[in-house]
Amino acid sequence: MLLELHKVSKHFSGLVAVDNFDMSIGAGELVGLIGPNGAGKSTIFNLITGVLPVTKGKIIFDGEDITDKRPHEVAELGVGRTFQLNPLFSDFTVLENVVASFHLRPKSSVLSALLNTTTYRKHEASIKEQAMEILKLLGLDKVKDELGKHLPHGHRLVLGIARALAVKPKLLLLDEPTRGMSLEEIDLALGAIERVCQQGVTIVLVEHNMEVIDFCDRVVVMSFGRKIAEGSIDQVRKNEEVIKAYLGDINAA
Amino acid sequence: MKWKLPYLSTRGNMAKPGFWAGLLIILLVLPLFIKSPYLIHIINMTFIYIILTVSFRTIMTSGQLPLAHAGFMGIGAYVSAIAAKWFGLTPWLSIPLGALVAMGVGILIGYPFARLRAVYYAMISLFFGMLILSAVKAFAKWTGGAAGLTAIPPLLGFSKVPYYYFFLGLTAVSLLVLYRLEISRPGVTWKAIAQSHLVAASVGINEARYRIIASAIGCLFAGIAGATYAHYNTVVGTTSFSFMATIMLLIYVVVGGVGSFIGPIVGVFLLMTVPELLRELREYVPYISAAIVLIVVFLMPKGVTGLVKSFLSWLAELWKSRRTSDAP
Repeated sequence: MLLELHKVSKHFSGLVAVDNFDMSIGAGELVGLIGPNGAGKSTIFNLITGVLPVTKGKIIFDGEDITDKRPHEVAELGVGRTFQLNPLFSDFTVLENVVASFHLRPKSSVLSALLNTTTYRKHEASIKEQAMEILKLLGLDKVKDELGKHLPHGHRLVLGIARALAVKPKLLLLDEPTRGMSLEEIDLALGAIERVCQQGVTIVLVEHNMEVIDFCDRVVVMSFGRKIAEGSIDQVRKNEEVIKAYLGDINAA
Repeated sequence: MKWKLPYLSTRGNMAKPGFWAGLLIILLVLPLFIKSPYLIHIINMTFIYIILTVSFRTIMTSGQLPLAHAGFMGIGAYVSAIAAKWFGLTPWLSIPLGALVAMGVGILIGYPFARLRAVYYAMISLFFGMLILSAVKAFAKWTGGAAGLTAIPPLLGFSKVPYYYFFLGLTAVSLLVLYRLEISRPGVTWKAIAQSHLVAASVGINEARYRIIASAIGCLFAGIAGATYAHYNTVVGTTSFSFMATIMLLIYVVVGGVGSFIGPIVGVFLLMTVPELLRELREYVPYISAAIVLIVVFLMPKGVTGLVKSFLSWLAELWKSRRTSDAP
């Protein structure tokens, strides 16, 4: 298993946001994490990537315990991610966004940058090349000189994925990739996700859009911080708990 | 403000060797034509404040507002002055010592301060700056307290011209180091953190580490500026290192343009050097400065440098469109 969550809980001073949550993701999988608003899906991402501290439980990534690791350490181990609302380096151009994200591999010391050593220049040249490759792969090469803040919504998400790819991730966490997008933008996003998948990157995505969920190998359904179902989309669709979570308890009414 | 990464674009104006060679020659022969020691003194002070203000902006590029920066200049000044005056160390050794102590303190407070961002960081650094001044007043036996420390051993005697060449060289080296850092990976990383610490961490950037590196480098140069100032002026007092002094640095940066490396240099020149040169206007300087700040804040969001750049690119556009319309 590439990623394992063992009985992970997150309490926000009394409020239980995530409760004894178990999840296993195998290498190469494309898994959808779904559930009603406020179910705790984004919190799961923030726990995995160390943005929020875990209250109880254990998170294992690629054989290593990452429960108490800080965000940059988790990234270093090979977990890339995007955020809801797609924040970016808004005063950098698209290319600069990706170049700045190549912080880990290859890594240059401050001193080598100051002295402008041959190795440093080689590193930067290869970074620029790799950044251009990523932009081409995701279809962003035409807007490479646009400022981040001038990008339309759909491109912002794809740029988020491009940035995450600079980490050379084994696992990619996408938080509501198609939120608030037009149909055209969704096509752009789906195309990008598909191409990343083909590169062999494992993906977990939080999503409401069923068109995107249909792409997934498997879905995990959350409600009120708990996992209520797991399996193929057809299995989950018939699950009574899931129907109850989304539509409310019909019998209780 | 737009952070430009010049190393990605084709070589910009900063890299034109002819321009820099010319400027260097002018600066090298300048003292031959200036007979007034007072004028040389103003230029020397300009050099010191350029180092100080540019290093202040270096810390700012990492998203931190170091309101203790003049205080760090003070650390460099007092450590070096005390080491030379009371312990007989030669200024050539006490100046690096003062600079390193300023950097060391910058790193030490960097660790706890890196937990705070934006206005909270600004506040805690403001208090730390006040703490430095209180320490100076508390140890009056060594520092001279509020009355100031006098009879500090000079670095190069009492004539102004040797110092001119010393500060010219020091400023050139300092600017080269800070510019090199700005346009290479560390500078990119600082600007990335400043724009979104969340996104920066998600690509593996250790925010605390890079903020501390920025502070360390900024404080090192503040210490250098302070220590050399002490052995140039031979008298130091607390006012040069106060909160107000830091605010002046901030004003120089904002007026010059925070988005560009030469912004703070332009700011120091416009608001410190020029008013000093126009001595008759001196008593109006605070009003003129305030007016300039207001004009800049309301009309030139990118500072004077930004305005000049926009104007130049507008001219270039105009030139281009002329040429294309001329073509049949």
